Amino acid sequence: MSASTGFFTLLRREVYRFLVLPNQTVIPPVINAFLYVLVFGYAIGSRISEIDGVSYITYIFPGLVMMNVVNGAYANNTTSLFIARHELFIQDLLVSPISYLEMALAYTLGGAIRGVVVGLLTLVLGYAALGVHMHHVGATLFFMVVSSLACAAFGNIVGLYSERWDHVAIYLNYVITPLVFLGGVFYSLKMLPESWRAANLANPVFYAVNGFRYGILGITDIAPATCAVVGLGLFALLFGTSVTLFRRGYKLRA
Amino acid sequence: MTPAIDVVSLEKRYRDVEALRGVSLAIPQGSFFGLLGPNGAGKSTLINILTGLASPTSGKASVLGHDVVRDYRASRRQIGLAPQEFNFDRFFPIVEILVYQGGYFGLPRAEARRRAEELLVRFGLWDKRHEKTPRLSGGMKRRLLIAKAMIHDPPILILDEPTAGVDVELRRDLWEYWTEINARGKTIVLTTHYLEEAEALCRTLGVIDLGTIITTGAKDEVIAQAGGDLSNYFLKERRKELR
Repeated sequence: MSASTGFFTLLRREVYRFLVLPNQTVIPPVINAFLYVLVFGYAIGSRISEIDGVSYITYIFPGLVMMNVVNGAYANNTTSLFIARHELFIQDLLVSPISYLEMALAYTLGGAIRGVVVGLLTLVLGYAALGVHMHHVGATLFFMVVSSLACAAFGNIVGLYSERWDHVAIYLNYVITPLVFLGGVFYSLKMLPESWRAANLANPVFYAVNGFRYGILGITDIAPATCAVVGLGLFALLFGTSVTLFRRGYKLRA
Repeated sequence: MTPAIDVVSLEKRYRDVEALRGVSLAIPQGSFFGLLGPNGAGKSTLINILTGLASPTSGKASVLGHDVVRDYRASRRQIGLAPQEFNFDRFFPIVEILVYQGGYFGLPRAEARRRAEELLVRFGLWDKRHEKTPRLSGGMKRRLLIAKAMIHDPPILILDEPTAGVDVELRRDLWEYWTEINARGKTIVLTTHYLEEAEALCRTLGVIDLGTIITTGAKDEVIAQAGGDLSNYFLKERRKELR
């Protein structure tokens, strides 16, 4: 028996869980991105002038990818943990010798892998439909992975906190969706009045979108290094919190 | 020899409720131990603390010498739990449920699959191995719970109301299985409301009520203390006298 086998088993289970449900987990966000490309690229985007030297649809495309990454990683872990708690099969883990750190890490990596898979598929769409190429491969992957990890860790926290499906929906509808839509996906900071710019700087998704946009297009409203520090800091905070919750057995152990 | 389970002054409080009040209990290795008591007596709380589903408020509990809090990884390896309620991962077919469960306990994938297949055959679930749990009958789900508990072949098996809702034939089959594995040295802790089950299977009994162990000892002694009828431990008026 190996100490790490439990961790890898849980990680594999988390990845298979979303792979066996592609019509709920992987395909819809890619189709949504395609619809955004159609509507914003061809119907509305043609009426908007270029931003930083690129067409509107090209400008917003990295934001669309990041939107899918954020939603995918977050939704994976809230749903997976909430269902496991609600239907009691989380007990399979709690009675096992898997450490609390391993539990938190396996869930976080599982959610992050979903975020990255969805993000890469959306990137392929961008390459096929828009001819988008990566300006900086390393930065692109870095921001995709770090954002996925942070959102998956936040998903852990909400998945542990939620008592009802209602709670899962509340955080998605009232926290994640507004943060994404007001996180610079569809606009540049330069297009906003001064007061809104400050509000954007308090939005963590803004840094993820801009860091990723730098990776794809070489364009950003804020220094990529700042985006990286915010992303890593947020991940450390959220992952640390989820490890603590697992260790304390928050809403897991009586 | 180190006891299979050793509990010393264990207390558990849930806000205003004292679920366990200084429980002390030692279960030797190889025992077939029945933990009896009325609803709300503290049986499940004690089991939950031993298996990692609840945290003690104070006191100590250890499994084969491993403290359930400080050395939780080692203690959990020693136990297989068949809980009272069904708790199946609905995303996967039953063979995969068992393979994952084996993996959680550190079995390499090939070993977990071999063991899962062996248990599916033993518990008459082989033909259903590719089904998901909503398609199983109550009796099949009960057998699957026991297979899950046995996947890593633990030295201690804890059965919490394992035959609730099970027909006579299956109950007899399970009794034979538990007797057989106990004879091979596995420690079994059983909670049940079927007193004839405890009398038929267990060699030692413990009775718990209001979070306190009232008595523990050889089956015949415990039955004698109850005036020859274990059901007296469950009757309100007699319980007061026996405490």
